[in-house]
Amino acid sequence: MRAFEVVHPGIQTTIQDLGRTGFMKYGTPASGAADRFSARVANWLVGNPAGAAVLEITLFRLDLLARNDLVIAITGGDLLPTVSGNSLPMWQTASIQKGERVLFRARRRGLRAYLAVKGGFQGPLFLGSRSVFVRGLMGDCLRAGDLLEVENPREISVPLRSLPPEMIPSISASDPLRVILGPQEDRFTPRGIDTFLSSEYRVSSQSDRMGYRLEGPRIEHWRGADIISEPLARGAIQVPGDGLPILLLWDAQVSGGYTKIANLISADLDRLAQVMPGESLRFKAVTLEEAHQILRKEKSYWESVRQALGGQG
Amino acid sequence: MSDWPQIRPSGDSAVLVEFEDRIDPEISRKVRALALTIESESSQEIQEVLPAYRTLMVTYDPLAIEYRKLMEKIHHWIEKAGSIALPPPRLFRLPTVYGGVYGPDLVRVAEIVRLSQEEVIRTFSATHFMVYFIGFICGLAYLGGLPPALRVPRLATPRTLVPAGSVGLAGGQANAVTTDQPSGFNYIGRTFVNLYDPRIFPPISFVSGDEIVFVAVPEEEAVPARGRKAADFL
Repeated sequence: MRAFEVVHPGIQTTIQDLGRTGFMKYGTPASGAADRFSARVANWLVGNPAGAAVLEITLFRLDLLARNDLVIAITGGDLLPTVSGNSLPMWQTASIQKGERVLFRARRRGLRAYLAVKGGFQGPLFLGSRSVFVRGLMGDCLRAGDLLEVENPREISVPLRSLPPEMIPSISASDPLRVILGPQEDRFTPRGIDTFLSSEYRVSSQSDRMGYRLEGPRIEHWRGADIISEPLARGAIQVPGDGLPILLLWDAQVSGGYTKIANLISADLDRLAQVMPGESLRFKAVTLEEAHQILRKEKSYWESVRQALGGQG
Repeated sequence: MSDWPQIRPSGDSAVLVEFEDRIDPEISRKVRALALTIESESSQEIQEVLPAYRTLMVTYDPLAIEYRKLMEKIHHWIEKAGSIALPPPRLFRLPTVYGGVYGPDLVRVAEIVRLSQEEVIRTFSATHFMVYFIGFICGLAYLGGLPPALRVPRLATPRTLVPAGSVGLAGGQANAVTTDQPSGFNYIGRTFVNLYDPRIFPPISFVSGDEIVFVAVPEEEAVPARGRKAADFL
């Protein structure tokens, strides 16, 4: 079943699911929705499994024409979605009619929105996932005229649901992002570590799904910036010779030879997905035990959201 | 008693097992033995096992296993890895056309290393390169074994686009790029064998420990390999 025709593809819109696991040893990053929580909730709202393919919409101007009556939900950053000119409430199920236009008008908060359709979007499968990873020759960004199909059209009706307002994550760049120092913290001077943890860094315009380049005070190395190339964990913060940190994200290379001062904790990756180039970040060090505790809390929050929405998977 | 290997966390869902800090086939064997040991255990909490030159990264689900338990397991695996037999390396013979439009840096490389172009080709194409590991992006193989006579620096200004299959060298390393991409290596030849295809599994044919020879052939023998995968050239 046809879902949408792309009237204008927006700045960058891709099909994403929860990514591919187990292929890093073949040089392939996980990819997948940058804000995993929002992608899951969008799917739960329309009765899909959490890992169904959704649209990841960056900033504004995406313009879609509904080619059938559809049940959709939009979550994530607030990019002022409208249907036929009327504002479309986010974080809840919505029915739209054939011929209506879904338009993302302007950025109000965050950077990336997620649109799920009942039945999930169709897209080519690469290594078990529909997540587009352009640099890895796995699909492409949407283009004007593209026709988006529903993967698994079902007649069963979906109850209209909404996420209770108190469960909607607040998007704020002012809270520091939490990191675990290392694995090469011993390759920085104490002053370098202090610079990293006490300074404000601006997200450069050269930032994308691979990584965020940061601008701000230079971090001082001890014994140089290069190491023998090794695997990179998601959220790794590498500091090349120029002393400016690069945060590695969902489409990042899987190995590299620069020293890493710290690694973002898993629970803060989704929040980072909503930080816009030009905005500022701060970092705060936590211990491994604290990071695991935060992650347990985060997962139990996800679970309570899933139960509130009667979500699957 | 050796200080190696050492284990350190890399974020909250991965650890690095580090061996002696140098690039060395013997160290690579230890890394691979540990990778094989962990993979053969098929432990539910372990997500990815990633060998590199002198490190092995293990990613795990911290909600499924306590860190302390994970450490116990890894120490146990390190002990067990000492007695595991590695599979013999496979040898890939990739038809490669050297020089001309396919090897734009051959002339310069020959000048830097003070050999004739023919000698550069002969030396390079006779080398059994060892695949240390697969990484970077799109399944790039990190190759070891470049003869010291062929040491050249990287380009001062990287090229913005190098075609897939370009075979090159820099800083004592060699590689064959798997997709069209920017690179600062010196490219002396091209193979038309398809090195990376995400539509199939596995997307690349090599694994750590394999060997590759870039066999010198004339253009008319190299081009027909277009679209075929490396596993056809074992």
